[in-house]
Amino acid sequence: MTTSAISIRHRLTRLLFLSSGAVLALTTIAFCTYEAVTFRHSSIQQLRTLSQAIASNSTAALAFDNTQDATSVLGAFRAEPHIVGAALYDSHGRLFATYPQTAAASSFPMHPGMAGFAFTRSALAGFMPVVEGTSHLGMLYVQSDLGAMYARIELYALIVVLVIGLCSALAYLLSRRLQHELLRPIWALAETARAVSERHDYSVRANRTGTKEFDLFTDTFNQMLTQIQGSESRLRDQLSRLSLLQQITRATGERQDLPSIFQVVLGSLEQDLPIDFGCFLLHDAEAQSLTVSALGIAGRVFADRLGLADMSVIPIDQNGLSRCIAGQLVYEPDVLEVPFPFPQRLASAGLRSLVISPLIVENQVFGVMISTRRESQAFSSGECEFLRQLSEHVALASHQARLYGALQKAYDDLRLSQHTVMQQERLRALGQMASGIAHDINNAISPVSLYTESLLEREPNLSERARGYLVTIQRAIEDVARTVARMREFYREREAQLTLARVDLNAAIRQVAELTRPRWNDLPQQRGLHVELNMDLADALPEIMGAEHEIRDALTNLIFNAIDAMPAGGTITALTRKVTGGDGHDRSVIEVRDTGVGMDDDTRRRCLEPFYTTKGERGTGLGLAMVYGMVQRHSAEIEIDSAIGVGTAVRLSFPAHTSSVVSVVHGAKPATVNRRLRILLVDDDPVLIKSLQDTLQEDGHVISVAHGGQAGIDAFTVSEQRAERFDIVVTDLGMPQVDGRKVAAAIKEISAATPIILLTGWGQRLIAANDTPPHVDKVLSKPPRLAELRAAFVELLP
Amino acid sequence: MAVLARTLPGWLCSLAACVVLLQGAIAADSPSEYQVKAVFLFNFSHFVDWPDQAFKSPTEPFTIGVLGADPFGSRLDEAVRGEHIAGHALTVRRFNSIDQLDACQILFIDRSETPQLDQILRALGHRSTLTVSEIDGAAQRGVMVEFVTESNRIRLKINVDAAHAAGLPISSKLLRLADIVSPANGSRTP
Repeated sequence: MTTSAISIRHRLTRLLFLSSGAVLALTTIAFCTYEAVTFRHSSIQQLRTLSQAIASNSTAALAFDNTQDATSVLGAFRAEPHIVGAALYDSHGRLFATYPQTAAASSFPMHPGMAGFAFTRSALAGFMPVVEGTSHLGMLYVQSDLGAMYARIELYALIVVLVIGLCSALAYLLSRRLQHELLRPIWALAETARAVSERHDYSVRANRTGTKEFDLFTDTFNQMLTQIQGSESRLRDQLSRLSLLQQITRATGERQDLPSIFQVVLGSLEQDLPIDFGCFLLHDAEAQSLTVSALGIAGRVFADRLGLADMSVIPIDQNGLSRCIAGQLVYEPDVLEVPFPFPQRLASAGLRSLVISPLIVENQVFGVMISTRRESQAFSSGECEFLRQLSEHVALASHQARLYGALQKAYDDLRLSQHTVMQQERLRALGQMASGIAHDINNAISPVSLYTESLLEREPNLSERARGYLVTIQRAIEDVARTVARMREFYREREAQLTLARVDLNAAIRQVAELTRPRWNDLPQQRGLHVELNMDLADALPEIMGAEHEIRDALTNLIFNAIDAMPAGGTITALTRKVTGGDGHDRSVIEVRDTGVGMDDDTRRRCLEPFYTTKGERGTGLGLAMVYGMVQRHSAEIEIDSAIGVGTAVRLSFPAHTSSVVSVVHGAKPATVNRRLRILLVDDDPVLIKSLQDTLQEDGHVISVAHGGQAGIDAFTVSEQRAERFDIVVTDLGMPQVDGRKVAAAIKEISAATPIILLTGWGQRLIAANDTPPHVDKVLSKPPRLAELRAAFVELLP
Repeated sequence: MAVLARTLPGWLCSLAACVVLLQGAIAADSPSEYQVKAVFLFNFSHFVDWPDQAFKSPTEPFTIGVLGADPFGSRLDEAVRGEHIAGHALTVRRFNSIDQLDACQILFIDRSETPQLDQILRALGHRSTLTVSEIDGAAQRGVMVEFVTESNRIRLKINVDAAHAAGLPISSKLLRLADIVSPANGSRTP
């Protein structure tokens, strides 16, 4: 029994008790009031009658002064126990006789009062005249206690209690009966409601009880249950579809390509909605057709019956497909009734219901999703709505997949660009520094170069040995100059003026092996180590086009690295191979492999960076960077395989030389100016300017020197004023305050015809950048060579 | 003792006051014998059912006669002054002898008429006159009501047969107070 049922029952009981109690109370009060009034009245009347009788019998006693008789007459009051006192007064108002006889006179009024009876607080008392005929003989006083009234009240109270008890019992029985009548249907309803709420079984119904109002209530309740049942099942369907939608959305979100998105959607639909056959068609707007992009796995049998396979093309006819392409969701409850090819094709495969939902991205239908079932009328409106939402999700996911692909590509491009830019930036910074160093070195070796050249030319009496030394010095200086130039330029693209020649890689590696023998053979042997260099050279290795000295340097670096990687000795293998690349062109490959310590991934990734070294203070961090610069300049490729503890293999792959063009090798064309020239040399480096002055003077020219830009301009101005014009001006480029460009500009302003040769430690770069400053007629790089200077003079002075 | 001593004068004062009052009351209120008898004579008029033949006419006064010497003086006149019985005004008449006797409703026969009592009674015959006397044994001799003084109280003896013979029914209330006397049986009480 539930709390509310108890409450209703209690309320009903209380209601009945209250109403019957109220009626009883009112009745009792009315009755008691009536009784009280009438009882007082009748009590007075009774007492008056009694008194009348006694008074009437007392007349003779009073008339003839017979107290004894009077007393005996008053004794008649004994019959009435509530009369507690009576007295007779004679006509003079004197107390004549009393009842009871022995009562004290003081218990009675001293004198008779007015005739009549009245209630006092504790008694009913009064006077009655004693009259015989017309003669007033005296007064009778009678006093009655209220015992009669109290007895009456007690009797009434008893009756009231009995009546109330009986009424209550009756009311209780009635209320029980009524409660049962009233509450039975309510309990039945409550029982049904509880069954519904506890078991969530909305199919139970409450029974009618035969009471009009309750039947109405029950019917309404049952109707409500029916509605709830309907709503609940719809809600359940909706929920399951929602969870399916969520599941599919999550699954599609995890995929980034259209086919797998379509596949996962179809798989979920076939398994969970379910559908019998589903597919995705992509829209080709130009061809006005749809192409099958994905077919459901479970519905494969229908696909076979339909003759659909991946990439099958379905023409868009005047049917649901065209409406769907226009952006509508199309539902055909029975395809048999649709007289168009595609629905008829489905019908022939045994499919009856069809839903076509568009895949729309940015207001463009890029495809459709087709869902079918064997039964006709098989899709509810909820399912159609679900398919519509699903197609929106799929469209969105497809769109995102495309965007993701594009983004990924952009990201990859960007990363590649960034990598390249970073690499170039590093090399550029390094190049700037290197060119500063190169400038200084070039300046420093210029005198050595000039004097050596001059000595070799002009001192025929030199001993063979001295001449040999000088030649060696000259070659060494040239090597230094080239090295400095390379050091500056290893980061650059191959330059136009880089001299390319046929290079035989086999010969190059043999030379390098011979040149580096002291490092890999002699030095380790002194420390008791054994390093072996094996060569495995291909016979028919194609020649390549390249700068042989750069390639030699690169190979040397690789051999040195291999030796350094084997502190405990080991084997270096140098091998060459001819391979055919992916583009069908032959390539010559040279590989240097060691059995050394190897590199970890980080080292391998960074080993080409300039200044990255694992050799501590012994290394410059430039070896492999220079190799890389060479590789780039030669359009070659570099591959590095390395494993810790196994060793490292560096592979350089050069495109094989196919063209028959033979590069022009500069031949030394002796050229001199036969006349005596007035030359102004401008340079802030006194050693360099001295050596230039010395060597050019030996050629017979008149040399003036200016140790600085401003000094040079001044010297030129002065000579102009003296009409001692200089035939040519040779100026350094890099000078403090007034540099070579300014000198050139100033001189050209004074004498536009005077040729100006600019000497620069950055000469190679200026040339490469096609950066010949204005007013400069020729740029020569340092260290200047006499031959070049002479050639320039010939070129510039007619 | 202190309480007694203090209240004793109060008690004495109260007692004295009571004695004085009682003496005064007795002196003032204690009626004389004939004063009482006069009232009794008058009261007899209430307790007898007077027949119509008792009065010659409706306007005839109700007469109380006194035969013989008058022991009442003015007391009887005072007792009946202004009274009426059934529309009849009350008067008192005095008769010296039987010869003078006229119609009256109540006749008091004085002690002085003792010798002529029987004669008087014969003379009255069956007239509707209530006879009252204080002569000893009067009731035995045929007087209807006899005053008897016993221990200072006046008592009544009534000869019911005589009253009946005269056609005067006497109220039972009165009879209850009196000794009923019949000539044959002598005195009896109700």
